[in-house]
Amino acid sequence: MKKLSAFLLALTLSLTACGGGSGGDPGSAAPAKLTLILRAGAYADVIKACLPTFEVENHVNCEVQELSESDLYSGIALDAINSAGTYDLCMVDGSWMAEFTDSGVLANLTELGYALDGDVIPATTAICYVDGQLYLAPYYGNVTVLMYNKANVEAAGYTPDKIQSLDDLLAICENARASDKKGFLFRGDNPNNLVVDFLPILLSFGGWVIDEANRPTVNTPEFKSAMEFYLKLIATGEAQVKDDLIASVDTGAGTMGIGWPGWYTPTADSSADYIALSGAASAGAQAYNSNVYGIWTIGIPNNSQNKDLAVKLLAYLMDPDVQKGTVPSGGVPCRYSSLRDPEVLSAYPQYEVVCQALESGKYRPVIAEWTQFYTILGTEMDNIINGVKTVDQGLSDAQTNLEQLMS
Amino acid sequence: MRNNPLTKAHTTERAARRFGVRMTGPTLAVLLVMTAYPLLFTLFYSFTDYNLLKNLQKPASFIALGNYTRLLKDAYFRQAILNTVKFTILAVIFEMLIGFLTALLVNSLARGQKVMRTLLLLPYLLPTVTVALSWRMMLSPNYGIVNQVLETLGLPVFNWFSDMRTAFGMLLLIDIWQSAPFVFLLLYAALQSVPLSQYEAARIDGANAVKSLFYITIPNIKNSLALCALLRTIDSFRLFDKVNLLTGGGPANTTSTITQYLYSYGIKSLDFGFGSAGAIVMTVLVLLLSSLYIKRAMG
Repeated sequence: MKKLSAFLLALTLSLTACGGGSGGDPGSAAPAKLTLILRAGAYADVIKACLPTFEVENHVNCEVQELSESDLYSGIALDAINSAGTYDLCMVDGSWMAEFTDSGVLANLTELGYALDGDVIPATTAICYVDGQLYLAPYYGNVTVLMYNKANVEAAGYTPDKIQSLDDLLAICENARASDKKGFLFRGDNPNNLVVDFLPILLSFGGWVIDEANRPTVNTPEFKSAMEFYLKLIATGEAQVKDDLIASVDTGAGTMGIGWPGWYTPTADSSADYIALSGAASAGAQAYNSNVYGIWTIGIPNNSQNKDLAVKLLAYLMDPDVQKGTVPSGGVPCRYSSLRDPEVLSAYPQYEVVCQALESGKYRPVIAEWTQFYTILGTEMDNIINGVKTVDQGLSDAQTNLEQLMS
Repeated sequence: MRNNPLTKAHTTERAARRFGVRMTGPTLAVLLVMTAYPLLFTLFYSFTDYNLLKNLQKPASFIALGNYTRLLKDAYFRQAILNTVKFTILAVIFEMLIGFLTALLVNSLARGQKVMRTLLLLPYLLPTVTVALSWRMMLSPNYGIVNQVLETLGLPVFNWFSDMRTAFGMLLLIDIWQSAPFVFLLLYAALQSVPLSQYEAARIDGANAVKSLFYITIPNIKNSLALCALLRTIDSFRLFDKVNLLTGGGPANTTSTITQYLYSYGIKSLDFGFGSAGAIVMTVLVLLLSSLYIKRAMG
C-alpha cells in the first residue's frame, strides 16, 4: 500500500510539473509555448532571428511554422473555426484583412492594450484599423519596386535617375531586345502574380481595379491603355517564375521586372538594383502613386490561448530597436527610425528608395472577395496576353464576371 | 431437444454469420468513417453555399443545384474537363505502351534484369514535388540544361511552361516519365507468371514472336493490363501537383485540369460548397471513365 501511495504521489508530482508552465512565469518549471504561423522566406527568417532573446527573457518556447502564401492563408483560416486555436501569432497579407476581420479571425489589439507608435510610416497602417480599433501591425515593408540590371540600363543610355516614365522602361527594354537580351520579365505562373505585376503599370495610367464603392473598374479607358502598353512592354521579354526572373535580371539575360525588396539585396558591386516607379506613364504626364504594398503584417488570432503573452511578443517584434536589428538579416521595417538611420543607409542605401515607396504605397483592395477577384482578373489577363482574347473582349468578360462576383 | 440436428445446424449457421460480421465489422467501420462519411458530407455541402470563413458569422444555406449550375455554366470548368480528359487519354495510352514495351524488353533479358528493374523504377519512387521542381530547373528558359543543349545544336528554344504550344505537352511528358515505370512494374510482375511451357509449345508449332505476343502474352496478362489502365486513368484524372507547381493552369487555361480549377475557384477561396460540387462532378466522371475497366477487371 505504501509503495502504491508513493507511486501515485510521484506520478501526481510529475504530471503537475509537466503541465505547470502555462503562464510563462520565469519561476515555473516548464516554459510556456507560443506557436507562430509565418510566411516562409526572409519574412519568417527575420522573426526567427529575434526569438531567442524573447524566449530567454520570458521563459517561453516559440514554435514557428513557415508556409507558402496560400498555405498560410488556409492555415490561419482552417484554425479559425476551432474554439481553442493552435496559433498565437500570425503573419497576414494586407489583402486578407477584410475577410479576416469580417469573420472575426483576428483579435482586437487595441482591446489587448497594444497601440502603434508614431514612428511607424502612417500609410502602411491604412488597413490595420477597423472602426478605429487596431487589428494588425505592419511588420515587413514589402512594396513593389522596379528591379533592373545596371549594365542593360546603361547600355540603353540611361541612368536610374533618368528613368522618369513607363515610356523610358519600354525604350530600355526594346534596346535590350535589339541586343538579343530579354527586356521586361513578368511572373505568369498564376493569376495572383499576373495581376500583382501589372498593378503598378495600371496605377501609372491612373487606373485601379475597383472604385470607392468596391465596384469593379476593369473595363475602363485607363485599364485598356495600361493593358495595351503592358502588352508592348512584355513583348520585349517573357513570363518567368520568380527565381528565374531574379536570376535573369541579375545575370543580365533579362533587363527588368517588378520585384519586391525581400527578393534581392543589392550592394554597390551587385549587377542589379531597384528603384521606385515614378508613377508617370510618359514624359510630362501626371505622376500617380504607383507603388503597391505587399506588406506582411502581424496579428493575433482571436482564438489564441495565450493572448497576453502573444501581445508581449508582438510588442517585442515591433520594438524600434529590435526592428532595426533585423535590417542586416534582410528585414524591411515600416519604421522611419530604421529606414532613415544614417548607419543603416550607409550600409544599405536602397532603403531610401524603400522608405519613399512605403510612404506613398497603395494596398491591394481590402475586399473579402479578393482571392476570387484576382483569380477572375488574372485568368482574363492571361487570355489577353496569350492572344486568346482581344483586350476589349478580355476586359469586358472580366468586368462582367467581377460584377457578378461583387453583386 | 438439445441434440436436434436442425437446431444444431441453425446454431452453427448463426455462429458462422456472427463470425463473418465480426470479421468484416472493422473493415466496414473504417470504410464508413473514412470513405462513406466524407463522401456524404461532400455531397451534402455541394448543395449549400458553405464558405469556411463566412460560416463563422452566418451559417451556410441550402441552394439546391446552384453550385452545379454555376459549374456547368462556366466555360473555364468545361475547358478544364476537356483538358483533363485529353490528358488522361494521352497519358494512359503512352504510359501503357511504354510500360508494356519496357516490361517485355526487361523480361526478355538473359542478364541484368534486377539492375534494369531498379533503374527503371527510380522516377516513380521520387516525390511528385521533387519531380516537378527538377523538371522546372531543367526546362528553365534562363539556365535550364534543355534549352542550353538545344541552343548548342542550333535548334529553337522555348519558354516551355509559359508557351501555349508546349506547356500541355511538357506536363504530359513529365507525367509519362514518372508514371510509365509503375505500369512497367505491374506488367513485368504479370509477365513473370506466364508459363514458359506455353511459349515452348507455340515455338514447336512454328509461332513467331508477334503471334506469341498476341496469342500467349497478352491473353495471359489481360487482367493486369486492365488493372494498370484503371489505376492510371484514376490517377491521371486527379492530376494536380504538377499543374499547380509548374503552370498554375496556364497559359490561357491550356493546362487547367478539374482539380486545378477546383483549387483556384473553390478551395483557395475557402468556398467549400462550390468545391464540393466540383468534387462530386469529378467523382462521377472518374466512375464513368473507369467503369469499363472495372467491369473488365471484375470479370
